[in-house]
Amino acid sequence: MTFKKKILEHLLSAFLITSLLGTLLYFTIEKKNIEKIQSNEKIESYLGLSFIDFENPFDRALLLDVLNAYEPDQTSEHETLIRTIEQYRKSSLIAGMEEAYRKEPLSSKKWQQLSLMYAKFILIYMFVMLLTYYGVQTFGILRFVRRQQNQKSHLLCFLQQLFSAPKFSRIKDYLKYYLQAILHLIKAVIIASSYFVLFAPAYVIAYSLKTQLNTDTIFFMITLAVISNGLLITYTNKFYTFLVAESRKGYVQTAIVKNLNTSYKQTDKSGISYASVFSFRKHFPMHVFQHIFLNARYQYLQTIKEQASFLISGLIIIEMALNIQGHFSYELLKQLLYKNYDIVIVIILGIFYMVKLTEIFTDWLTHKKSLKYENIEPVCAK
Amino acid sequence: MNNLFKKIERRSASIYSQKDKFWLIVWFGILSLTLIWNILFLNKPALDLVIEGFLNTLYISALVVILSFILGWIIGLFVARFETSRFQILYFVLTFILNIIRSIPQIIGILLGYMGITYLITANILHNHWLIMTTMALIISLFIFNEVIDLIRERVNHFRKLDFYNAMKVCGISENRIINFDILWKNSRIHILNKLIAIFGSAIFLQCTIDFIISVGLSTQVSSVSLPTTLGSLLAKIDSKQDILAIGNTLMNPSYFSHIFFEHLQGVTVAFLIVFTLLAVYKISNGFAERNRL
Repeated sequence: MTFKKKILEHLLSAFLITSLLGTLLYFTIEKKNIEKIQSNEKIESYLGLSFIDFENPFDRALLLDVLNAYEPDQTSEHETLIRTIEQYRKSSLIAGMEEAYRKEPLSSKKWQQLSLMYAKFILIYMFVMLLTYYGVQTFGILRFVRRQQNQKSHLLCFLQQLFSAPKFSRIKDYLKYYLQAILHLIKAVIIASSYFVLFAPAYVIAYSLKTQLNTDTIFFMITLAVISNGLLITYTNKFYTFLVAESRKGYVQTAIVKNLNTSYKQTDKSGISYASVFSFRKHFPMHVFQHIFLNARYQYLQTIKEQASFLISGLIIIEMALNIQGHFSYELLKQLLYKNYDIVIVIILGIFYMVKLTEIFTDWLTHKKSLKYENIEPVCAK
Repeated sequence: MNNLFKKIERRSASIYSQKDKFWLIVWFGILSLTLIWNILFLNKPALDLVIEGFLNTLYISALVVILSFILGWIIGLFVARFETSRFQILYFVLTFILNIIRSIPQIIGILLGYMGITYLITANILHNHWLIMTTMALIISLFIFNEVIDLIRERVNHFRKLDFYNAMKVCGISENRIINFDILWKNSRIHILNKLIAIFGSAIFLQCTIDFIISVGLSTQVSSVSLPTTLGSLLAKIDSKQDILAIGNTLMNPSYFSHIFFEHLQGVTVAFLIVFTLLAVYKISNGFAERNRL
């Protein structure tokens, strides 16, 4: 599908969903207004009599007498009517109090509140997206470099050191040897624990830290969105897979023959330094990895759409599960509970627009890169 | 005896090199250990709840996998067929609808679906627990099956570029057979299986999350009473939440660490089962992809 066609499809789907939800919004607001009018009309007509004070028992008795005098054969019905009016007044008072708390109209004030929440949500989303974009590439490269250096897992190193200890003549050497083994064990435990954190759903981490930290801050939310829900680890692994696949391609061999640097040692001058791995604009001049990295990143760009959708879901989960008041997704949950469906529709529409904008941006970015690298349109699964 | 040890060592090394099998064994092993520990130290009603929640979670997730596979295969087939047929308009309509579903964040779609389930329960239309769980699985799969379709389209498009596709067509073999049997069954079933393992993990995550959100945020009478117990809803219970808080407490008070495996066992077990299962499924999926060079 060409870029123009893709954009057209995005715009068409945005238009369709807007029309669909807009119609639904119109009917929801209409239904709310009709519900207000269609409360019990007969009772409302009695309550509308300005000369009767229904708080006063004398007035109520007077109304009953008047009704009995007017329709003498329906005394029992009149008594029922007076009781019903009493009950109706009580229940409408209670419902009114409840509704004042729960029911919210889609007023200009509410629009303003929602806009602020939406702006906050977008800002957090962009910030987390930027951090994960950086994190995925950095950790992916680190893992790839470790693989190229043939580094074994720390647990294996620990077990090997434990079971194949050589004989030393001095106790100091023994201590040094086993200290190194314990160091491997500690590193293995830290990595295993970090795996648990990276795979833990956000609410598990947040609830376990609730007594120690203020979990309602934006900083905590951003940190949680980056590290939890398996987002970082999943896409790091994806990026790492792209790196491995690229490293097996023929052009890498050609580049090696052409004398590009191939050392992956951090200590080598021609190797991969930590500074270039951790820098935001990653660049590995005169190294074969530069080309592996650029090609892997190009493939990774095409998965950003999927990552963005995953991230938005993650943010919604965090805001909803932690009941962080004043946030967009918590508002959605609250309004669902209070059955304010007009507000729910507006919030869903807002989230849909954000996903669509991300999709358009990613398609544009992929298109731009494909013109640079391939000089043809990329073939996407979508 | 020496031979036996060597045999065991060789077998262990072979299993360790096949990471998917290794992690499957680790998953079952750790689950068994957790069960034994809980039998010893967790009270009977809580243990029954945890087992019920875990089995229900596995049942729903397995059902999500099956439903996503069936839906994905059928719709993916239609998309692949329409793409090259003269019914281009059908292709555009179908992909347009699929893209709209994709643009709705999974969690929102599933949440709205669950609202529908609670409505059906209150209206007394849905009351059988198995039927409720099946409906839950169907709703989750509606927002996941797109992944299967993407894979099927990718595989079909890849093979369409190769000579054998046209050669088979020239030989008079029907396109349905080429796609279903030669491309998907003979050449892509490992890819599909790998995708289904990943979907199993996503289903567990989404289901636990939505159950947690519903139980915490929308704790209406229906959600707390009528929805089947799952790991997510168990975690949202007040006693489980207190157990989870105890984990944080150990960060500041390390001497409390030993208490959490005895006094806070319910919540810790539920949280552990969720996280460890997600980790194990991820490792199995990765190992499977690595072993089959996908």
